[in-house]
Amino acid sequence: MIMAIVKKELLQLRRDPRLMGLIIVMPLVLMILFAVALKLEPNNVKMAYLDEDQSFFSNLIKTGIWSDGYFEMYEVLTKEAIIEEIRSGRAKSGMYIAKDFSALLTENKQPHVQLYVDGTMPSLTTAMKYNSSAATDTDVTNDMYFLDEDAPNTVIADDPFIMDTEILFNPDEKETWFFLPGVIGVLIMQIALILTGITIVREREQHTLEQLFVTPISKTSFIIGKLLPYVIITLIDFYVILGVGWLFFDLPQPSSHLLLFALASIYVAVMISLGLLISLISQTQQQAMFVAIFIIVPSILLSGFIFPIEAIPSLVRVISYLLPFTYFVEIIRGLLVKKTLLVDLLYAYGALLGFVVVFVTGSILRFKQRL
Amino acid sequence: MIQAVNLVKSFGGVRRVDGVSIEVKKGEIFGLLGPNAAGKTTVIRMLCGIMQADSGTVMINNTSIEKAKREFGYVAQYFGQYAELSVWENLSFYAEMYGVKDKNHLENLLEKYQLTPFRDVDAGSLSGGYKRRLALVCALAHDPKVLFLDEPTAGIDPVTRKLLWDDFYALSAEGKTLFVTTHYMEEASRCHQLAFIAEGKMIAQGTPKSIKNALGDVVVYTYKQSYSPEVTQAIQGLDGVVLTNQFGDDLHIVTEKSLSQSAIETVISDITETSVSLRETEPDLEDVFIALTQGDVS
Repeated sequence: MIMAIVKKELLQLRRDPRLMGLIIVMPLVLMILFAVALKLEPNNVKMAYLDEDQSFFSNLIKTGIWSDGYFEMYEVLTKEAIIEEIRSGRAKSGMYIAKDFSALLTENKQPHVQLYVDGTMPSLTTAMKYNSSAATDTDVTNDMYFLDEDAPNTVIADDPFIMDTEILFNPDEKETWFFLPGVIGVLIMQIALILTGITIVREREQHTLEQLFVTPISKTSFIIGKLLPYVIITLIDFYVILGVGWLFFDLPQPSSHLLLFALASIYVAVMISLGLLISLISQTQQQAMFVAIFIIVPSILLSGFIFPIEAIPSLVRVISYLLPFTYFVEIIRGLLVKKTLLVDLLYAYGALLGFVVVFVTGSILRFKQRL
Repeated sequence: MIQAVNLVKSFGGVRRVDGVSIEVKKGEIFGLLGPNAAGKTTVIRMLCGIMQADSGTVMINNTSIEKAKREFGYVAQYFGQYAELSVWENLSFYAEMYGVKDKNHLENLLEKYQLTPFRDVDAGSLSGGYKRRLALVCALAHDPKVLFLDEPTAGIDPVTRKLLWDDFYALSAEGKTLFVTTHYMEEASRCHQLAFIAEGKMIAQGTPKSIKNALGDVVVYTYKQSYSPEVTQAIQGLDGVVLTNQFGDDLHIVTEKSLSQSAIETVISDITETSVSLRETEPDLEDVFIALTQGDVS
């Protein structure tokens, strides 16, 4: 009975050229569309720092960076921890001031300050580089020149110290590395929500549901039969889009293919079950479409996919964390670009699984084999 | 075969079906009659288990609907097959839903209902009559004992309608039980048993013959008269007239026996200024139907 429904769904899809277009053409169109990047000025970007010098001068640099509200700084214990903080996503940038900083400074030897910037989001990277230059403003550096009474002819360097900026994970600041992983999620969301969103409501509208409810099929078999084709199609779509990214857009390989497959499966499950729920609460196909769009649009805008989450006001950020897509973006960027460890992504995987549980439960409660 | 006791269903606080009880015997064609919005579709949906009754019980073949799902087929009022699938794909789908694997049986069904030439045609492009046949064939795929048909001939031309009814008789002769809703009187008279509902209430039940007698002690006169508002109004003004009913050039006058034939004739000839002679006839179902739904007879 399940196979009868699966077969019927696939036949219907094959007979519907518009839907086939949706599955095949739309991903290509959007791929090109999203290649045009958007930029936005963020604030309160988390910066992990380690100041081994702890001197008057190093404090000057920190205040210089801190003062204009762009960075929000917190201290870590080791140099390695700075990069680890960025890899895990807790910080977007880092700064390291070595122990010999003020010693070298007083000798006019131009010590280095190391700045790390997360390159996963190029728009954020550019802004961070720009804002960190505040630390080398004359306001900050005025007091950092030293005159040597014994050697008055010594040439004093133009800058008292040098800021080294290292861009982590995406050193070439490729916009595609930033956008493409998210684009995959957007496309999967659209395909899954729209395909499954209309699947039951269409049968309701065309009066075929009435005929189906008379047959002896059970609730579970019916739902499995209805969803199975879409789960498979969407999962295939996921890897097709990913493959295009790998082939033509220089998308990096994931740190773990297993974790990527887990993400694909869980994410597809989230979107398909959400689509089912939409289909069950809607009375017409139009309603289902509107609900789907009401989920897709905020997902694109508020998930950190285009605009850094740091740029979203904290009140609205609550919505960001209620959108499954936010967690998808976090995980896929972590896996593909930053090679983040599973430990740091567990909460995001957990959140996605939580969505599956909520949507499936909601659907079961909502679904009645009656008109 | 079908037993429904005291079915009640409300929508938005309004009782659309109010205490309907039905008993249908094996091999019968049972007709459920009623004007639009009387609750016919709601009743048939409750009998098939696709709508939950607020109260009341339904038994099919002496078991609950859930257990009897393989015992009955249902043809909804609207075309409920998949328009983009072919006739054969639709039939195979419904057969598979019931676990029927016998392809010969399905081919025979198509043949029997003249659908073989349309085997690979999209169901959506069939004409109205063939769509009904496809729906019927899909409902028969698992060879059910009971068949529910919701207005199976609505919007169908008279020739096709007759053919469909021939099919229904044949099915009944095979021992299948048919439950049909309709508002066509001549179809109603073809049923073995009838039930009248109006505003969700059962108002008469029995054979077509016994229902015709439901009007009680009345006389029906027929008179050749094209429609004239003055005549109709004058007759309705008489004491004892139950109702008047215009069928084309025939005027049916249903009256109590106390009113004499000559009194009516006088009233008419006063207006038409011709001599009038009424013919006494049998009440037909339509007279009863209109009288019952107007609530003139309890």
